[in-house]
Amino acid sequence: MLFLLLPLIAIFAQAFAEGVAIFWNNLSDEYTLAAIGLTLLVTALTIPVNLVFGVFLAWLVTRFEFPGRRLLQTLIDIPFAVSPVVAGLVYLLLYGSSGWVGSWLDGYDIQLMFAWPGIVLVTIFVTCPFVARELIPLMQAQGALEEEAAVTLGASGWTIFRRVTLPNIKWALLYGVILTNARAVGEFGAVSVVSGSIRGETNTLPLHVELLYQDYNTVGAFTAAALLALIALFTLAAKAGLEWRATRREQFR
Amino acid sequence: MSIRLTNIAKTFGRTKALEPLDLNIADGELVGLLGPSGSGKTTLLRIIAGLEQPDRASQGSIHFGERDVTQVHVRDRRIGFVFQHYALFRHMSVFDNVAFGLTALPRRERPSTGEIRTCVNRLLEMVRLEEFAKRYPAQLSGGQQQRVSLARAWHSNPTCYCWMSLLARWMPRCVRNSGAGCVICTTS
Amino acid sequence: MTLYSLLRRSAIASAITATLATGVAAPAFAADRELLNSSYDIARELFATVNPEFNAWWQDQHDESVEVKQSHGGSSKQARAIMQGLKADVVTYNQVTDVNVLAEQGLVAEDWQQQFPNNASPYYSTMAFLVREGNPKGIDSWDDLVEEDVELVFPNPKTSGNGRYTYLAAWAYADQEFDGDKDKIEEFMKKFLGNVKVFDTGGRGATTTFVERNIGDVLLSFESEVNNISKEYGEDDYDVVVPPVSILAEFPVAVVGKVAERNDNTDLARGYLEYLYTEEAQRLLAGFNYRVNDENVQKEFADQFPETELLRVEEVFGGWDQVMDNHFSSGGELDQLQRR
Repeated sequence: MLFLLLPLIAIFAQAFAEGVAIFWNNLSDEYTLAAIGLTLLVTALTIPVNLVFGVFLAWLVTRFEFPGRRLLQTLIDIPFAVSPVVAGLVYLLLYGSSGWVGSWLDGYDIQLMFAWPGIVLVTIFVTCPFVARELIPLMQAQGALEEEAAVTLGASGWTIFRRVTLPNIKWALLYGVILTNARAVGEFGAVSVVSGSIRGETNTLPLHVELLYQDYNTVGAFTAAALLALIALFTLAAKAGLEWRATRREQFR
Repeated sequence: MSIRLTNIAKTFGRTKALEPLDLNIADGELVGLLGPSGSGKTTLLRIIAGLEQPDRASQGSIHFGERDVTQVHVRDRRIGFVFQHYALFRHMSVFDNVAFGLTALPRRERPSTGEIRTCVNRLLEMVRLEEFAKRYPAQLSGGQQQRVSLARAWHSNPTCYCWMSLLARWMPRCVRNSGAGCVICTTS
Repeated sequence: MTLYSLLRRSAIASAITATLATGVAAPAFAADRELLNSSYDIARELFATVNPEFNAWWQDQHDESVEVKQSHGGSSKQARAIMQGLKADVVTYNQVTDVNVLAEQGLVAEDWQQQFPNNASPYYSTMAFLVREGNPKGIDSWDDLVEEDVELVFPNPKTSGNGRYTYLAAWAYADQEFDGDKDKIEEFMKKFLGNVKVFDTGGRGATTTFVERNIGDVLLSFESEVNNISKEYGEDDYDVVVPPVSILAEFPVAVVGKVAERNDNTDLARGYLEYLYTEEAQRLLAGFNYRVNDENVQKEFADQFPETELLRVEEVFGGWDQVMDNHFSSGGELDQLQRR
């Protein structure tokens, strides 16, 4: 327990080491604000995309039989198996100006790498398994019987999804979203490769922490780190809250 | 409504669940399927409902009356299906479960809220569960759940019933009240 | 709370956040023109100071405001990014090899070193020593570093340009001292490398080791770095020693022709780099402990920069290609010296 708490305490201690005024200064520094803004943007775009994708994938894999289904299930885990840095490099290979897709895009003056769209892309990649991995075992365990009952009663596909499937998976879904959020905010490796580190433009909060540290601005670095730690704590609290609520419902039933 | 099955066979992977068979059920008939477990009773019922497709190789067909429904989707076959373990919607109240068939209709065809309420209450009365309307499936006994699933399947004047359990008591009432074509049920 | 209302709320929250975020992330003001400068890691403070001055200078001359955006990172990583499509108009690096790589790819002119004075290096530095308060081990020059009881800290030449310069400076000193006698030089280098307590990956790591973990008697780094560290961590606790002989570390700058043309920025890019040679810019650079060539500024800051003989890499080693091949490639001198 101490092992986990001490680093957290240290982060906040360092952040406030030079007083609250400096802490506030660091926080409202224009580059820090830009980094926060970029991180929020990336997360706000990543979550809905992966939510839809994850649900769709889980639905596909647990409710239908088709050749290659097992393969698909394994493929979902690729972002977990691949080191984030490698993932970033692969994106660079594909979308960089000398890459297969990148050189084509270059002709249209569209730049994905070293700009925020590239960061969003790699973040989507590294976080895409979370929602699917939460849903698949649950939906497999729940079975398709309720959905079959619904279809015999004449419900359309969308109605079945909305009124039967979704309510049964909502807590797992929320949990998957929380995990996605946490990972998207904290992602470093893949983003560092494709970011280009343009201050005020393509630095996310984790990259900004590193930047400040390299700059010998230890207090500033820890201030930004404290923000990230806060988000982590919030994520944990949300997760605990969800779990508590889930158990409460079970008891109630 | 009569039901006619011609040359229906079903194989799962390497397991032959059903040898090619023919089955004729006349209008208004009550048919019971008896057999040991694994004999294919469930499969047959699911094929009639459309939840499984018969093997293409045997080129079987299913007719409801004069209508060839072999290619018709489940939701358009209007079968009142009662599952072996009832498959009630666990997060919906008894009332909402029974009302589902009506509330799931597209807006154009859907009756008004008042009409739905009347219908559902009537159905609940028929299965003697009026007081349980607000309960959830997890709060009901096995027998009560059975009755809910029956009421739920009862709603929209199905062409015929497929029951995966013996609900002997309810059979005559069922047929009489809903005017359904026939009832097929199985026992394990 | 039904799932629906929850999802609806999150969707609205996401939309609001995204809008706010783009608002925050957008520049505070829209300048008439923009320039992207790809630079090395420790130059952040430097350019944060230089860029507004450049904006004022350019506005005086051309009546347009300029926003110079900065990208910082390990020098080689930065060069690779440009090759992969990062649209930097100018580069300001701390290693000649990284600009050469860009020249090979045609992104920078082949004769880039002749495009600006002093081999396109508006400022330069050398390798110096940071020692503990009072210089207890009496370190004055390179031969003091190979004594038995002296522990050194500097980054790994394999991974750091900073480290490579230190290695080359030591070798250049030995070359001069032993009149080119290869055996004696190698013996010196072996002792030198043997005295290194810790090889960190980069300058920052080495600093942490020396200052915060209190390891080693001497930290070797760029003179500019060493001075900055001393200021940052307490001038009373550390002394800066500049050896009488050391290596010339150039900080090359160049215009990325292809990108500047595309952005219609060629004049601005050239202007920016030329600005670094003006007296006012040179004064700023000297303030950051970099050595400059402007005579007036040199006189002003004479106290800060002790006299030292600076040897050029090209003269001692024949050029950067030779250096990389002979010393730092796999199985090269560095590997051999460390193996024995």
